[in-house]
Formats: sequence, C-alpha cells, structure tokens
Amino acid sequence: MMRKDIVPGDGAIAPDMPRPDALLLAGDRPALPLGPDGLDRYTRRDLRREEMVIAQRFHGGAMWPYAVAAFGCFAVWVAFFPLAVMGMLNLPLACVLSCIFATGGYVTSHEAMHSNIARPGERLRWLNEAVGAVSTIPIVFPFSMARLMHLEHHYHCNDPSKDPDYTDEAPNAIMAIYKTWYNRQPGGDGSIHHYKRILTEMGTPEARRALAETMVLQLVFMGVLFGMAWRGYAIEVALIWWLPRHIGLSYIRFFLSWAPHHPRQGKIGRYENTHVFKSRLGHVLSMGMQYHVIHHLYPGIPNHRTKPAYAAMRDILKARGVDVSPL
Amino acid sequence: MQSVVKQMFHWMPLVFGIGFIAPLIAQIMAVWQIGGPFGLSRIAVGLVIGVPWGWQTVIRGRWI
Repeated sequence: MMRKDIVPGDGAIAPDMPRPDALLLAGDRPALPLGPDGLDRYTRRDLRREEMVIAQRFHGGAMWPYAVAAFGCFAVWVAFFPLAVMGMLNLPLACVLSCIFATGGYVTSHEAMHSNIARPGERLRWLNEAVGAVSTIPIVFPFSMARLMHLEHHYHCNDPSKDPDYTDEAPNAIMAIYKTWYNRQPGGDGSIHHYKRILTEMGTPEARRALAETMVLQLVFMGVLFGMAWRGYAIEVALIWWLPRHIGLSYIRFFLSWAPHHPRQGKIGRYENTHVFKSRLGHVLSMGMQYHVIHHLYPGIPNHRTKPAYAAMRDILKARGVDVSPL
Repeated sequence: MQSVVKQMFHWMPLVFGIGFIAPLIAQIMAVWQIGGPFGLSRIAVGLVIGVPWGWQTVIRGRWI
C-alpha cells in the first residue's frame, strides 16, 4: 500500500492518495516522516554507513605504547618506595610523577577495559589483562571492578539509576570538583561506594570477584600506609601514594566523567550522551576527553586516535545534531 | 564473613586516624622541629588529633 505522506514521482494519483489540493493544504509537511533529530530514516541510515566507514579507518593501530607506558610507569612508581626508605628520592618530584602515573594509569587501563590491546582469544590477550591490572593500582581501583563499572557506564550512559558514574553529575565545574572529593567520603554514596553497591546488586561471579579484589587491594593499601607510617616514613608514603591517589581520582572523575557528560539529565541518546568541549588545559592534559563522543560511538577506537577520527567525522556528527561548534 | 568485612570498613576511619594520621602528624612535627605541648611526645599529639578525627568520621561519614 502506498504511503500517504509520499508524493509519487510520476504524478499518478493512487486510489488511497490524498488529492493534490489536500497535499497543498499540508503546507511544509515533509515528504518522509522525520525523527526528533530532523532527519528521515534513509538519511540517518546513509549517515550511519558513512560514519562506520570512517570509524573503521581509525580502529586498531599500534597499541604497544600503552603497554610500555603502563609497565614503565608502574615499575618506576614501585621503585619509589624502597628509594624513599633509603633516602635516595627527590620527594616533591616523586609526588608530581606519582600524580601523573595515578591519573595516566586510567587511560592505559581504559584501553584494556575495551580490549583494545588484545581481544579475547587473541595471542596477546594476557598483555591486555596485565596492562589493565597494573595501571589502576596507584588509585587503588582494581581492574576487575573498573572494567565492569565502565562497561555498565557505556550500556546505560546517563541513566540516573543504571549509570554507575551518574553520581559525578554537578551543576558546574567548581561543584564537580567538590563532588569528586565528597563522593569519596566514607559515608558518601558516590565513586567506589556506589560501585560496590551496584556490584553487590549484580551478584554475578564476576561482580563477586571484583568486590573481593577491591577489598584485598584496599587492605593492601592501608597495610602499606600504616606500616610505612609507623616505621617513620609517613610523609614519604603520603607523597608517593596517598596524595597522588586522591589527586588522580579527582582529576579522573572531573575530566573523564563530569566534563564530557555534563549535563547528564535526559541525555541518553547515542549522539547526545556526551558533548564536545574545548578544554582550557589542552588535548593531552584533558586526556583527549574533548572528543569523548567518538569514544562512546566507537569504543574500539583508541584514545590517541579519537582526535583525528573526530576531524574526519565532524560533518556527519554535525548532521546528526551534535554541537561541534567548540572544536 | 561479609558482615565482618563491613564492620572492618565501617571502623576504618578510626584505624586510619591511628595508623596513618597520628604518625604523619608526628613526622611533620619532627621535620619542623616542633615539640609536643604539656610534655607530650609527638606521637601522642598525633594520636590526640588522629583518634578523635577518625572517630568523628566514623560517626559523621565525612572527614571534614
């Protein structure tokens, strides 16, 4: 049956077609039904195909730098502890480097969460898992929990009840920074407290394992802090682990969660759950989060390729209703 | 087991006050060459600050 909202090309009037004067009365009514984004389904399909062709070009590539960075930084950070005890460490410099390792570790771990270093069944899968495991130790956030929660974030992005990161939402940047600290308070319901509750509700073997590993890592962290502190190295362990962990967690929460997703409320669509923004700290210090839209559309594109992928996809994103004006 | 772990983490701020804050204060006082008041040792000063601070965190759920 011919659809009433399609004007036949040859001018013939089908039996169930409205009369030409009725079409005129319809005024500016489009020939094809349009979605909320102002596009008809054929345009949407074509744009999606173009988008996927472009995305294909940016998947993969050399991922070994992530592994080198993860293991290199972890080794240097671990070496800080005996060097501090031996009095052979420049503590202010070690503190700055530890902050960088704690924060940057999430980036390398993030690639492992999406199996971008090696997928299940591939020869280097062990490397993917090892990179993930060592990267988030400085922030006392086990890879098993990080991966489960991050994938939940992708599945339910900006859903107030299902997105584990929704508790990072805040009305402005100052409040967002404050919330990164507030959510970590022992009685708070954000950050790792929220994650623990979600994992308990999930109740799967993976969730139970993540909870157990979280407990073990937190106890190891406390054990190292207390042990070193009572042996006279409280300042050292504070500057190598305790303070960098807090700075790293706040930085990660702000730049990887709040900044690319604000405002979260009601923004659950594929092209609206992140926003493009220009960072005052630049591309590297904001860890590529200005182009987070690319990551949510195609998590298989590694972090360092999201910027060129965005440049190649910008016109399509604009057509899909993404505000690309900042960049 | 689960309730034991929950209890342990519930009291963790107090343990943190004793295990980390107290020796940290004592070491900072030593670096700045500050002695304890009323004849108290530096670690005693650390405990006087760390224990109540951790205790109030257990009760209030916030360090500050």
